Amino acid sequence: MASRASRYARYLPENKLEISLFPFLSIFLCVMGVLSFINILSSINTPQKIEMTTELEQGYKVAFQIFSLPDGIITVPPLSRLVALQKIVSIETSDQIAQIITRRETVVNQLKAYKGQLGDLASDPDVDDIRAYLHEIRFINEAALKHNFLYEEFLLFGIYPDGGKAYHKVRDVMMKSQDANSISVGLEPLDANWTLNINGTPALKETGAHSK
Amino acid sequence: MKQFINVDSLTDIVSNSVGILIILAVVTLINDNSKSFQLEIPIEHQSDLSPVFIVAKNDALLVLDTDILFTNAASQATKGAAKGKRMFSLEYGQLYGQINQESGLVFHAREIEDSADWHHFNKLEKTDSALHQQLNKINPKKQFAYFFVYDEIENSSISGSGFEGFRMARKYLKSRQIKSGWKPVDSDHPASICDMSFNSLCKYLPSYLGSS
Repeated sequence: MASRASRYARYLPENKLEISLFPFLSIFLCVMGVLSFINILSSINTPQKIEMTTELEQGYKVAFQIFSLPDGIITVPPLSRLVALQKIVSIETSDQIAQIITRRETVVNQLKAYKGQLGDLASDPDVDDIRAYLHEIRFINEAALKHNFLYEEFLLFGIYPDGGKAYHKVRDVMMKSQDANSISVGLEPLDANWTLNINGTPALKETGAHSK
Repeated sequence: MKQFINVDSLTDIVSNSVGILIILAVVTLINDNSKSFQLEIPIEHQSDLSPVFIVAKNDALLVLDTDILFTNAASQATKGAAKGKRMFSLEYGQLYGQINQESGLVFHAREIEDSADWHHFNKLEKTDSALHQQLNKINPKKQFAYFFVYDEIENSSISGSGFEGFRMARKYLKSRQIKSGWKPVDSDHPASICDMSFNSLCKYLPSYLGSS
């Protein structure tokens, strides 16, 4: 038989445990708020970042890119289709194209290996280097034309803010060069936050071909 | 006896929500970093079209009336103001002229904010604006627009002072089938107009894609 106390307890109102959600909601909302704030702040402050590819083609025209910065220029030669061209030309031309590929690979590899700011990589345009590049492009274009290979390299200038001086220096050399007469030119203004995606440069797929 | 509150479910909600937010932030960051932008570069072409010259500086555009400019320059030269490569006022759009044997008539744009001839590029949106009407006068079958674009960078800007104005005007002109060409200019390499029959270096070429 139940005692009097236990009978009394049976009729007492149930003592429910109430949990206050305030501290948890507070933490939750604080974290969400901070994250949202950081997100909004970064989207406002961080300028739009655009990465440009190093291999740029327009149909059969392939860009030999020259980025003109306040401290000089960065050259990004195209590589991807040269091996295919090399296969269809004569042995003598093939050897010359192999040398060009090797030189260009060295330039691209140096660019890829560089980890600093893009602007620090720029160097003052060297007249002899520019002449050599122009001669190289003309040679490749003429070889492609001779062998009915749909391939033409053109010079593409990416002009960064305050990059006009280096651009004019290159154009001055081009004006005096016979090789430049047959080379098409394109130029485009670039904003300071547009970066070059060096690592996006595709490597040569058929690496054996150019060393024959 | 102490009563322990079970907060597992609340901790679960909080950690899940924060985790999802962090994952979203990381995914967005990765997407942003891998975004690659391929430039669509118009290439310079020889053309029979005659150029309409436009100067782009400090987000403003000035369509040059060459008749007025050359008349004013001739008037100043007659008075002897142009002797010894001296600069003289062209009384047009706050432009100062200089006569150079190699470059022809050279323009220096100074304190353009005080001039009513310069128009901010956002005026292009208004169909009744003077800039809109000036650009609409260009005949796509006979003329193309040639821009002298100032690449000098303003404080805390990421773009050259004339880049955005040039891009907007070029976009508008493209919608009207008008071809455009441009070159970067600055105080050391100012805009200039000369006659190709006088100097072979005086080339003003429109740029467009091979397909257009």
